Amino acid sequence: MNVKANVGATGAYSDAEILAMIDEKNGKFDPKIYVDESLYRLELERIFARTWVCMGHESHIPNSGDFTTAYIGEDPVVVVRQKDASIRVFLNQCQHRGMRICRADSGNAKAFTCTYHGWAYNQGGDLVSAPMEKEAFGGCLNKAEWGPKQARVETYKGLIFANWDADAPGLDEYLGDVKFYMDIMLDRCEAGTEAIPGIQKWVIPCNWKFAAEQFASDAYHAGTTSHLSGIMAGVPEDVDITQVAPPTDGLNVHMENGHGCGLFLRNPMFYMTIVGPKVTEYLTTGPAYEEAVRRLGQGRADVNLCHTNVFPNLSFLAGINTVRMWQPRGPNEIEVWTFTLVDKTAPQEIKDEWRRHTSRTFSAGGVFEQDDGENWCDIQQVLQGHVAQNQKFNIEMGSHTVTADNPEGFPGLSFAYTYSEESARGLYRYWTQIMTAPDWDAIRRIDQRPLAAE
Amino acid sequence: MLDDTFKAAFESKPKAVSLELQHEVEQFLYWESKLLTDRRYKEWFGLLAEDLHYWMPIRSTKIMREVAQEYTDEQGFAHFDDNWYTMKGRIRKIMSDVGWSENPASRVRYLIGNVMVVPENENTINVVSASMVYRTRQERQLDVFACERRDVLRRVETEAGFEIVRRTILIDQSTILSNNLSFFF
Repeated sequence: MNVKANVGATGAYSDAEILAMIDEKNGKFDPKIYVDESLYRLELERIFARTWVCMGHESHIPNSGDFTTAYIGEDPVVVVRQKDASIRVFLNQCQHRGMRICRADSGNAKAFTCTYHGWAYNQGGDLVSAPMEKEAFGGCLNKAEWGPKQARVETYKGLIFANWDADAPGLDEYLGDVKFYMDIMLDRCEAGTEAIPGIQKWVIPCNWKFAAEQFASDAYHAGTTSHLSGIMAGVPEDVDITQVAPPTDGLNVHMENGHGCGLFLRNPMFYMTIVGPKVTEYLTTGPAYEEAVRRLGQGRADVNLCHTNVFPNLSFLAGINTVRMWQPRGPNEIEVWTFTLVDKTAPQEIKDEWRRHTSRTFSAGGVFEQDDGENWCDIQQVLQGHVAQNQKFNIEMGSHTVTADNPEGFPGLSFAYTYSEESARGLYRYWTQIMTAPDWDAIRRIDQRPLAAE
Repeated sequence: MLDDTFKAAFESKPKAVSLELQHEVEQFLYWESKLLTDRRYKEWFGLLAEDLHYWMPIRSTKIMREVAQEYTDEQGFAHFDDNWYTMKGRIRKIMSDVGWSENPASRVRYLIGNVMVVPENENTINVVSASMVYRTRQERQLDVFACERRDVLRRVETEAGFEIVRRTILIDQSTILSNNLSFFF
């Protein structure tokens, strides 16, 4: 028998070893979290199979029978609009021999039939017939027992989430404080948002946590070197790039359940270079802005860009309105699935501008996102080295600025200066905690208070 | 629907154009791809018309019954959805010293073939071509893309002879099997 050295309850690492992978006090963490195969298998079990994972937007599947295929971690699922307008999410796996039940990315279907032996499922994924049922099964096939596994489904202001774990809290409780920041994108107007049709997908050979952490916490890369050329692509030629001051007013926010965000206040500079003057004007002046002030309050209406990660792998930029799911594909690869949301009641011209500019900036060919893909795959390659894997990474930024509250009165567990890694520290600390918690009872007992509060 | 003009023009086998026109168009496409391969981005940009639409819709997997919806339409999300001004911004980026996705630069080669020419009138020429894009970068990254390009060319009094008014790029991949699309098609 092949026995791994040092096998703990969770695989190659003991709980104590996993918990020690982030050292918040000294601002260090262990990059093995990005490359280790056993940790990755544990993530699929303890994170993706137990938390609320985004499936897309309700407007992707408006009519009865509309479906889209999606993933919870590496598990393929089918997301289907039902006759009563509810949504079902089920494992895309026939329980006879495991074949994929639905083989298209999206469409409209009255039923799903497995192409291997013809077991047929209704729109809800219930097994309704098997060929030659009487002759082959003697009429004894218990169809109620042999449908694909169904996930719990809930929505938040248009975004669809699914969860395999019956013991997990409801979506509302799970999201907690992050709803306040999601609303900056989802709740600016009474009618809410709609998705521009189409989900863009591409592959980056990097660990999913690079992407999740960046959207949770990393304003630093945007304000420094990573995206200089992206900004250059967006500012008019006659503007001297050195005169474009990066925003300095804002917050880095660590929230419960691993969520995190960072935001800039009262400086629409990034809006101008990313979504252009028309959408910037729409977002920051006039009736749409006034409605946002009424709905969200002055403070939130004046957040000019909020980068957020909803744990584990849903990220978005409020204002830019690019939404993405980082689909894990082994420790060394992700698929990025991204789409754009617009205010449902925005004028068509504004929706068109929004669409064109998110494609121009935040997409595989986006003048900002091109460079993220470049950084993450280089890091991942370097980490294949034995010595490189055994160096600690620095995660101390902004520790001296951490407070339990903030002048804006925004919710969260702890706050820091815009250019800070408080949210990243919170994310990785929660990661070590959920990875070592055997069930939701244990997850509920996690002490999520930040170090500063202890 | 995608490009009704092109659909109509290629409903049946297009009438063969003169060898001279065919040759002229092919040489223009080769020249254009040479400029990109040689990273002469400013000169390449000079081949784009001010009323340009440079567009690569997203392709997805559909059941045959719904295959007409394989590509996103013009109101949908796209890999590229650029006009002349935003392309100018992309050129600023790629030529800057701080555009890290192309510094160090990719090595990109284009094989253009299957060129079919359907003139709309003397000045406007519809061209369909197939393009294989072979990109390597850094130590060992290799990406290969195949696509159909539907170009609308306009005759102009320049050395190149044409400008590109519209380029629709129908890429074969649904999930893009690369970390980025930091180059041009």
